[in-house]
Amino acid sequence: MGALKLTVLILAWGGIIIVLGRGFSVNRLLLAVSNATGFAAGVAVGALLLSTLQGDASFAVAKAVLSALFLLHWLVSLAALYRSTGEGTTVERFQKMSNNPLSAACCSIAVGILAGTICSFRFIPQGGEVPLLTVVIVGFSGVCLTAFFFGVEQFVPKMPVPTAEVLMAIVVSFILFASSSIPRLDLFSPLVMKVMKLIHDIVHQFFESMLIPDHLFFRPEVWNYIGLLFGNRVGLWGGMLIWFTPVLLVAAAIRLERLPSVAHIRQGAERRTLLKAHIRERRTRLVAPLIAGVMLAAAVFQSRFPAVEYWDPKPLKVAATPSGSIFIPLTGEIDLKDGKIHKFLFKERGRDARFMVLQNSAGGYTVTLDACSICKPDGYGQTEGAVICYYCKTLIPLETVGKPGGCNPVPVPFMMEKNGIAIDGAALLNLWGITVQATNRVKGAAR
Amino acid sequence: MQRNRWQFHLVIRALAYRRGRTFLLIAVLSMAASLATALGIVSLTMEKRVAEEIRKYGANLIIMPEKARISIGSGGLNFGEFSEATYLNQVKTEDAIIRSGIQLEHSLHLSGTLRRGAADILVEGVNFEVIRRLFPWWHIQGSWPNGAEAVIGSRLAARLGIKVGEELELLGVAGVVRPRVAGIVNTGGEEDDLLYLALPELQQVSGRSGQLTLVRLLVTAGGERLKTAMDRLGPLLSGAVVKEVRQVARTSEGLLAKVKLLMMLATVVVLISAGSSVAGTMSASILERGKEIGLMKAMGGGRLNILLLFCGEALLLGVTGGITGYLIGNVIALFIMQTVFAAPPGFISWLVWASMGVSLFLALAGSAGPLVSVFRLDPVRSLRGE
Amino acid sequence: MMDVLIETRGLTRNYGEICALKPLDLRVNNGEWLSIMGHSGSGKSTLLNLLGGLDRPSDGFIRVGGEDLRVLSEDGMARYRREFVGIIFQQHHLIPYLTAVENIMMAQYFHSVPDEAEARTALERVGLGHRLKNRPGELSGGEQQRVCIARAIINSPRLLLGDEPTGNLDHGSTRVVMELLSELRAEEQFTIIMVTHNHEVAAWGDRTIYLDDGVMVREELKGD
Repeated sequence: MGALKLTVLILAWGGIIIVLGRGFSVNRLLLAVSNATGFAAGVAVGALLLSTLQGDASFAVAKAVLSALFLLHWLVSLAALYRSTGEGTTVERFQKMSNNPLSAACCSIAVGILAGTICSFRFIPQGGEVPLLTVVIVGFSGVCLTAFFFGVEQFVPKMPVPTAEVLMAIVVSFILFASSSIPRLDLFSPLVMKVMKLIHDIVHQFFESMLIPDHLFFRPEVWNYIGLLFGNRVGLWGGMLIWFTPVLLVAAAIRLERLPSVAHIRQGAERRTLLKAHIRERRTRLVAPLIAGVMLAAAVFQSRFPAVEYWDPKPLKVAATPSGSIFIPLTGEIDLKDGKIHKFLFKERGRDARFMVLQNSAGGYTVTLDACSICKPDGYGQTEGAVICYYCKTLIPLETVGKPGGCNPVPVPFMMEKNGIAIDGAALLNLWGITVQATNRVKGAAR
Repeated sequence: MQRNRWQFHLVIRALAYRRGRTFLLIAVLSMAASLATALGIVSLTMEKRVAEEIRKYGANLIIMPEKARISIGSGGLNFGEFSEATYLNQVKTEDAIIRSGIQLEHSLHLSGTLRRGAADILVEGVNFEVIRRLFPWWHIQGSWPNGAEAVIGSRLAARLGIKVGEELELLGVAGVVRPRVAGIVNTGGEEDDLLYLALPELQQVSGRSGQLTLVRLLVTAGGERLKTAMDRLGPLLSGAVVKEVRQVARTSEGLLAKVKLLMMLATVVVLISAGSSVAGTMSASILERGKEIGLMKAMGGGRLNILLLFCGEALLLGVTGGITGYLIGNVIALFIMQTVFAAPPGFISWLVWASMGVSLFLALAGSAGPLVSVFRLDPVRSLRGE
Repeated sequence: MMDVLIETRGLTRNYGEICALKPLDLRVNNGEWLSIMGHSGSGKSTLLNLLGGLDRPSDGFIRVGGEDLRVLSEDGMARYRREFVGIIFQQHHLIPYLTAVENIMMAQYFHSVPDEAEARTALERVGLGHRLKNRPGELSGGEQQRVCIARAIINSPRLLLGDEPTGNLDHGSTRVVMELLSELRAEEQFTIIMVTHNHEVAAWGDRTIYLDDGVMVREELKGD
């Protein structure tokens, strides 16, 4: 599993280097050095962030930077589409930039810093002292890889000259591919979540302001369609739309670009031959956005099916006392004080409910359902510093487990007793029932 | 003109030129595709309905009076004609359930009609507390009723124009009730057509104190325990029978299996004959067009290029056949469902892809042979007309 | 301009036991107009098919414009046909479901990309500006043959092959077609090789060769 993630990072870095090497026609050594420097600096930056900022903040910062990059990618591709309809080809415009050593170096360093930071987030543990040895090893191997891939670059078949926006699309896609291998840096899942929430909010607003209480206005079939809007699918497709649009825009920009004029050639056959060659050349230039699209798709795949092993204990069956309450001792068969989630399954009269108990960093306890109020009750698994909803792949930081809302696990009221936790069985069953009413399935024991 | 558009144009022109043959091919393809579609729609709809029926009962055993009739088809229990209806004794039944010693939950039901204004309304008496616990799919708009309040099914509510909070006046054999409508239930099933009252109230107003029409039992865990429960309950009840809910659905399952088999056979026969007729028509067409192909080769058309044009024709035929087949298939399914099952067919949009797949497969498989001969054709001979 | 375009040595074509073309040595210069005459079955069409890249020789050497036709692959032959050769047939083979313009665009399509404006101009050039949207069935024999000529030269071939192009035409139409060919040749400077029965038609050429039973029996230069 670890090897796989390492491969992802190496692949991404290799891809970035080869693309930069192809994109900039300046001295190879200059590119290599600035790439390597950027990477080393990135690793240092990452280490510094991780050691100085508390909790989720370092990840938040990195994610903010990535989001900004993605946004910039959006803007650049919009601009590209706009410009493609105008005069002159973007290829010519890019030549200048591509030949300028300063811009090449700046780009390489910036990309290197980003890549280095992402790598450091993968290898350096959060908080505490900076583990100097790890930093040095990561930085050094990054530099070695840079040299290696510049060697490989010479054997890679010649790609058609990319334009600035194509270069950006490819580099961004590789960076997002790398970052998606680290669940806490992944951009796609939060994007899906945001889209889902936005749609929820809009639909709710709509009904609150206009149609409630007159629900009967709609037939049940219509309600089914409205229900569709709340599905996880909508969030996923909406997220994908936002995710892939820039690359599609870049591809469209290439496709819409005017072909060089062939009108000066008098002879028809010759003119058409040249035209065909131009069309073919333009088509080969579409390979670059295609690669970017594939990388983005790979990022989505990693985000949906993260190659991370979760802490996910098999739910322990518990029974209620005659008075109807469930008592879970703090120590005993299961030690609740280890900061991990512990799952329990409560069955009574053919109804069941799955819940989990977690000790938070402050030493207190939270009891929640193993389900949230939006998704299908596929449950949660625990990763480093967070739990993840198996259904929508949203990461919920451990600090916020126990708070209601969104895809957070639904809190269960409980009583703290001397040496254990008491939960009202009936209330638990009802809460579970209400929460998962839509699907009405409990797969607890099977898990 | 762009190359792609030109290719499309060529394919359309070629197909339009041989109009009769094109229509014939599309007809054959769509016939095959439509049968496959109809088969898919009928079996999927019916399977879903059977599953839904089982689910809708919620309970997996029911106790009903010996003479009450069950009919299935229009989506659930039909409580027969009430003049003939017989009733369960509530006390005896509950006693039997307790004596059987089986761990189970039960819900008591009494059905009847009450008169509202000039119309009769089907009313069911239930215990709302039990309903709420056992039938979690009851989706209530408004609130669950307290005391003398009622819950109305969504379709009935829409039909009668009844809103939450309205007070109804219902006339029974033994009195009048004036329940307030607390909520509207929507399950998508037969519940949507009924009015629900508290059981004691209905018993009183319809003069059937202590009488029931149906008891639904929820035995947790399946198979063996269901059987034991039936065996143990049966002897304890007099004048009543215990039935597995699955039994009720089995009738339509059997019919479905037969219809499916029949359609499957028909589809296989049609697929084979359609496949061979497509192959025949296509190869005749290619033979006839030998000169044209030879000419294209003489003009410098590459083999792949020419193949592409002919594949384009097959693809277009296949897609068209698939889409028309899907539409016709829906009509066939409607016909079958209405004549055999007396129920509307479901609308299954993804079957359009299945239909297209069948049609495309036939079109391409049928033209595979002729296409190979396109590949091999010698321009000199074909131009000479050999 | 007197460089050699076509050169064959010992060119042979057998159909099983039958020898359609016996070892033939032939040289055709660039820009020349060569007429081939002979009875049916004399091997003249076979020779034309070999030169047009429609058929492969059983033996011998054939080189056209520096291209050795024996070593070309199937796709190489197709490329040779579309870029190098234009062919006019006796039975003006046109695609029946396409209009005149579209028939020409078909040749453009196989060559590179269809260009409707250019195809129109080409038809106007052969005097069919008023028949652009007519299908072959609606055109007379002479008109059809003119469409074929326009199609044959649309890709600026270096070699134009005619297989009895006037075989099915009346006297008037023959004259129109031959004059057209002559004019076009003056403009575009392609080489013409034309098989014919008709002495009058053959006389349009710079040189005439006579084939009999697969053997070249006589050669006549213009003015002989």
